[in-house]
Amino acid sequence: MQPQRYLRNLLSISPEEQARLAECRVLVVGCGGLGGFVLEYLGRLGVGFLRVVDPDTFNEGNLNRQLLSSSLNLGKPKVLAAQQRMQAVNPLARVEGHQTLLTEENAAELLSDCQLAVDCLDTIPARRTLQKACAEAGLPLVHGAVGGWLGQVCVVRPGENLLDLIYPEPSVEHGEEYEQGTLSFSAGMVAAVQAAETAKLLLGKPGLRGELLVLDLLNASFQRLRLE
Amino acid sequence: MITVNTRENPWREGLTVQALLDEMGFIFRHIIVRVNGEFVPEEAYAQRQIADGDDVQVMHLIAGG
Repeated sequence: MQPQRYLRNLLSISPEEQARLAECRVLVVGCGGLGGFVLEYLGRLGVGFLRVVDPDTFNEGNLNRQLLSSSLNLGKPKVLAAQQRMQAVNPLARVEGHQTLLTEENAAELLSDCQLAVDCLDTIPARRTLQKACAEAGLPLVHGAVGGWLGQVCVVRPGENLLDLIYPEPSVEHGEEYEQGTLSFSAGMVAAVQAAETAKLLLGKPGLRGELLVLDLLNASFQRLRLE
Repeated sequence: MITVNTRENPWREGLTVQALLDEMGFIFRHIIVRVNGEFVPEEAYAQRQIADGDDVQVMHLIAGG
């Protein structure tokens, strides 16, 4: 018997799948514009354990898009806000916060006991570090990135190294987001797709494979580009 | 004809990557271009010719989170 809070899930997810989600463990790397929404969606869905990693505290510049930020928690750690939020939203989804940077040294430990990682980072070198760690651990990675009205999502299975195709120049650390900023709905939309792809991986349903989903909200266009 | 981001697009003799980007309105600063899967660096856009039947991918480079 599933809790009443999952009643509306059960029209699209079977009771067995809902029970399976409660046993799932996911690493969310980055707790900003993407990470806050990803945690919200996965927690409300009923994923049982969410480990979140981010070294930062909230500042005023986060308020335009980061779900977990508010005028009341400026200066406070993002991962602490994530834990407090999920305790209020769904205590059945446990959030374990790590106020640290994901590095080559700690990545394996942070990935341990998790079934996959969600890339909600904001620099290209950090994303590469996470891809490498996931490949070494044999775990899939759900990548998402946002800039202005644009967003993108792909699922990187171990050994595919799709991020090397998206970010081919090793010296480049940032992209169009430095010219265009980031809008609230772009972050929410990309995070929603990341959460959906995560759910499909956890439940063994077919999802994005070898493709980059490109979302252009200014032109209301979604496009799948083959990566090879 | 060539393919640009999975859609068919007219081709003409002498078409370069730079001309294609200009014509299609890809004006953002951070762009990734692949022709038949091969990455084309920005400094080669003006010289790199596109052949009839080529498959061109143009992606905006975005990395915000």
